[in-house]
Amino acid sequence: MNSSPLLAARALSAGYGDFQALFSVDFDVFAGEVVALIGANGAGKSTMLKSFVGLVPIRAGTVTFDGRDISKMPAHALASQGLALVPEGRRLFRGMTVEDNLRVAADRARRLPAGVPAWTLERLYDLFPILGERRGQAVEKLSGGQQQMVAIGRALITQPKLLLCDEISLGLAPRVIGEIYAMLPVIQQSGTAILLVEQDVTLASRSSNRICCLLEGRIVLSGRSSEISREAIAKAYFGVGHEVG
Amino acid sequence: MKWVDAVIQGLLLGGLYAQYAIGMSLMFGVMRIVNIAHGDLVVLLALIGISLAAVFGLGPGYIILILVPIGALIGWILQRGILNWAVGEDPLPSLIATFGLSLALQNFMLTVWQADTRSLDAGPLVVQSVDLWSIRVGVLPLVICGVALFLTWALHMVLKTTKFGRGLRAAAADKDAATLCGVDTKAIYAQATAIAVAVLGIAAVFQAARTTVAPSDGGAQLIYAFEAVIIGGMGSIWGAFVGGLILGVAQVVGSRIDPGWGILIGHLVFLLVLAWRPQGLLSRH
Ligand SMILES: Nc1ncnc2c1ncn2[C@@H]1O[C@H](COP(=O)(O)OP(=O)(O)OP(=O)(O)O)[C@@H](O)[C@H]1O
Ligand SMILES: [Mg+2]
Repeated sequence: MNSSPLLAARALSAGYGDFQALFSVDFDVFAGEVVALIGANGAGKSTMLKSFVGLVPIRAGTVTFDGRDISKMPAHALASQGLALVPEGRRLFRGMTVEDNLRVAADRARRLPAGVPAWTLERLYDLFPILGERRGQAVEKLSGGQQQMVAIGRALITQPKLLLCDEISLGLAPRVIGEIYAMLPVIQQSGTAILLVEQDVTLASRSSNRICCLLEGRIVLSGRSSEISREAIAKAYFGVGHEVG
Repeated sequence: MKWVDAVIQGLLLGGLYAQYAIGMSLMFGVMRIVNIAHGDLVVLLALIGISLAAVFGLGPGYIILILVPIGALIGWILQRGILNWAVGEDPLPSLIATFGLSLALQNFMLTVWQADTRSLDAGPLVVQSVDLWSIRVGVLPLVICGVALFLTWALHMVLKTTKFGRGLRAAAADKDAATLCGVDTKAIYAQATAIAVAVLGIAAVFQAARTTVAPSDGGAQLIYAFEAVIIGGMGSIWGAFVGGLILGVAQVVGSRIDPGWGILIGHLVFLLVLAWRPQGLLSRH
């Protein structure tokens, strides 16, 4: 991974009104890797993902994706560039069926070069068979885990080069979390890079190649998941002055 | 027989209200906008149609063919130029914007067409009638109701089965999530308002053929559309159709009880539904 990054944020600042949530963040994701982004509540993880996809305006700095400056592109144009977000809290289209939720995204998906296998409804139903069985049902009738699968499927079917996942384990039973996380290697092997926001640090480091920690809007730690010690993570997570308990 | 007749005449009158209500319901369902200028747009389109008919001697069918694209264009410009800036969580900016538009349109129409009442000559269609199970039914109301039914069905199918329809329902359910899926919500809004006003182009011709229009009539048309939408359920397309029919039946049955009561009974039925089922008859929520 010594080529140029797939996604590169440089001196990125973002916030809401008077409140600044990200302070001059430098951050890279390379093609094919899984990066975990961790940090305490309110550290700015969701803000960072949202600023990448244009849902939070960028105040200063740049974001380039696949060689293009995307910081000024309209948010709706980013899906077709190959950047997809599974938003925190799933945000499915209530009142619409599982299949219609997926088709909204499929209708506007990135065009793939010939020969590259695409995520199709069939392939998603193979990956998550329960969604195939329940394709005609309104999404609000599904269990939390099944809804999370729809949210992931909806992002995948835009044919992303980079999949951003914001706390996809939130509120789910451990067994269901295991099922969903078991899909990440499958997605990675299909050639899609993944940026994962995860509260569970053990799960985060086990599922990723690289780990980054945000503290109060700044990146305070970054390294290979297999090499970073728990002590270093705990220190970065809570800031200086806290001891590992 | 008298009451069966009243109900049937009411259903037919309701067809016109349904035509007003479809677009209003669509705009509310997608953008949470209550368009105060809705009735004034009907009147504007009707007056344009009447003038076109007078100048070029065109029949009502041709007028509809002209008014539908004009309506679509007006709706698109209205949304792109004004309402896209006002749409958001807070319903007040769009209420103020459309209220201002309503006043401006009324003044504009008074200047161009004066306060006169006008109507559109639809030829023999207006007076023709047929006997249905020994009840005399006007051909024009029958056509109006049939067109309303067709428009409701067609819009339902577009929303259900097309790329545009899925994008529109997604934008209505969760704007940001729709954006993440590549939906250009501002473009969808402009298309929705274009459809809503285009349908008014059809309603305007029927209104002008059935009765008369004057520049200040918009308010009454707005109320009927609004009541139909509330009765049926805000944002439900079939609800708007059913709400229009119920309002029509209430008005005609009311006026058979006492000629002065028609409109009043319509309002009472609206208030009853509002008290008993505020989400509307066909709403899922
Ligand atoms: N819409 C908003 N308006 C104002 N402030 C916000 C908004 N969303 C988030 N914030 C603030 O920005 C900061 C970063 O929030 P963000 O949601 O990015 O944190 P997070 O790391 O995702 O936290 P969590 O783990 O709780 O999801 C927090 O202080 C939060 O209060
Ligand atoms: Mg968050």
